[in-house]
Amino acid sequence: MKHDDLDVLLQDTLRAEVAAASDRIIDLEERVVMELGDRRPRLRWFQWLGQLAAPTRATRWGQIAVVGATAAVFLFLGLTLSDRIAPNTPAPQLSLQRLGTADGMQSVLFVWPAPLEAESVAVVGNFNAWEGTDLSDPDGDGIWTAQIPLAPGRYEYAFVVDGKWQGHDPRADEVIQSFGQYSSVRYIGRGGDDA
Amino acid sequence: MYRVQDEVSLLRASLQGETGAWGEIVSRYKDAVFGLCLGFMRNRADAEDISHDAFIRAYINLRKYDLERRFSTWLFTIAANLCRNQLRYRKNHPSTEQPLQMAGGTDPAKLVSAEDRQAKVRGALNQLPYSYRAPLVLRFYNELPYQEISEILSIPEGTVKTRIHRGKAMLKDLLEEGA
Amino acid sequence: MRMRTARTAGVLVLLTAVVMCAASAQVSLQEFERALYSIPASNPEFLLSTIELGMTQEDFPAEQLLGLIERLAEHPGEPFEKDAVLNVLAHALEVGLPIEGLVNKAFEGLARRIPLHQLESWLSQRMVLLAETRDLLYSKGIFSAPSRAPQTVPTAIPMPRFNLLLIHMSEAIGDFLEGGGSPFDGHVLYQEVYNRLTMLQGVTLVPDDVQLVLERIEPSDLTQVALAAVS
Repeated sequence: MKHDDLDVLLQDTLRAEVAAASDRIIDLEERVVMELGDRRPRLRWFQWLGQLAAPTRATRWGQIAVVGATAAVFLFLGLTLSDRIAPNTPAPQLSLQRLGTADGMQSVLFVWPAPLEAESVAVVGNFNAWEGTDLSDPDGDGIWTAQIPLAPGRYEYAFVVDGKWQGHDPRADEVIQSFGQYSSVRYIGRGGDDA
Repeated sequence: MYRVQDEVSLLRASLQGETGAWGEIVSRYKDAVFGLCLGFMRNRADAEDISHDAFIRAYINLRKYDLERRFSTWLFTIAANLCRNQLRYRKNHPSTEQPLQMAGGTDPAKLVSAEDRQAKVRGALNQLPYSYRAPLVLRFYNELPYQEISEILSIPEGTVKTRIHRGKAMLKDLLEEGA
Repeated sequence: MRMRTARTAGVLVLLTAVVMCAASAQVSLQEFERALYSIPASNPEFLLSTIELGMTQEDFPAEQLLGLIERLAEHPGEPFEKDAVLNVLAHALEVGLPIEGLVNKAFEGLARRIPLHQLESWLSQRMVLLAETRDLLYSKGIFSAPSRAPQTVPTAIPMPRFNLLLIHMSEAIGDFLEGGGSPFDGHVLYQEVYNRLTMLQGVTLVPDDVQLVLERIEPSDLTQVALAAVS
């Protein structure tokens, strides 16, 4: 096969794949707009200031300076705070941990790696009546965690990252569809297979 | 309502909080973004979720976008990063959905051989490593120049060229193996 | 900052749990009445009478149901739509079905901001599944019996154990259908139910109960149940 033929075949294949799945995005714009509701693009105060001062390329230098300064402040805060927090918080492990407690409850670790700019991550599920339990990310590495005591059983849950539901936990035992969206499932208390 | 407006006006209106204008942006770019995600992820449900997510994120972070740059490059970068993150965390966890297969479509007998060949390409694409598949998708589905692919994937332009060349060679081998 | 929020949330969750434990089983009909009034429900008498009936179930999730009514009251939407959601639960109670699974799904639907009319039809379908699954178990000679009553039939399972089996079976069928499965794929459907029950065997389900069910049901039985729910 000549390379040129392959180019055409590849292009046709990729286009056909999209055409065959186009029903998936038929109302994407409506869904996006509905989800956005009253939200507005996040304000970036330095951008506002920059634009007011000089609405040209010069803004970029201003932005770089402010970003740099902000980063320095955060770095300083991060270092200072991490010193204070560290002694009380053992580093969470990236696996489903089981710490036996009395009456069969287990402390179950929920982990969600979020983009660095994420502001809040929570886990909702049938163990908290689908009201969020906050995850935390003390070291700011984007790995958010929470440990929740759970009795043996089957639990459905999802993560909520800055208001957006994420039902596909790579650490789940199963992923199901619920109300047309994904939910993750974990079985707690089976002989060691969830550890 | 927004169809007559140019992209920059739509983006400016979106920045003012007009989600309707953003809806128009979504409908202009949804095929491109979804195709990118589908090509990268090889899984329809993931492609759908990530496309949705990409448009939400792009809107929320719209102020980070520099109006002097190409909007599509910025949008594709967001989508590509979301795909890469998802694949990274998926690595040890097989998807619940079958890898991309196609049901239905056109069925005249004369198209059988073309469809057959496409099915083989789909199978080969599923096997291709992500780092080779991604530039191929951007090149042949999104029809982007090397320089933009390099920006989106954050790899040097030379590497993009090499990967496209090698990716095609690998595809060719896979197709001949299966033939 | 995040740490502090997380800790505060943790303490709050613990406190709530302690308070709820102390208050459990003490949820009174008056509390339900007050909660229904705050919706306001158009037919509180009917709802209250079914709740009273439900309270005779050993595993009646009183606090959860009360919590759901309270959350519905705060939820945006028309009172008649909220009524409709509660009516599904009331009908389930009326015919003696366990509502724990439905209540949980209703919480999830509210959290996901599913339109109330869709939530209602979704819950109705799940209720039909519960009823059909229970009929199936009955037809296979698997019954439920009050825990303290003397066991007259060897296949009579104490009520809470029976209900848990019932909930998991019908949810496995419901999840299968919702994931795009066809009722006619009896074998796949059976596998789903088999997986769900065996995963919970020895965890929340009694192994003997699971084995009894798996020995007696067949793929075609499950197809019938699934068809009833989608028709």
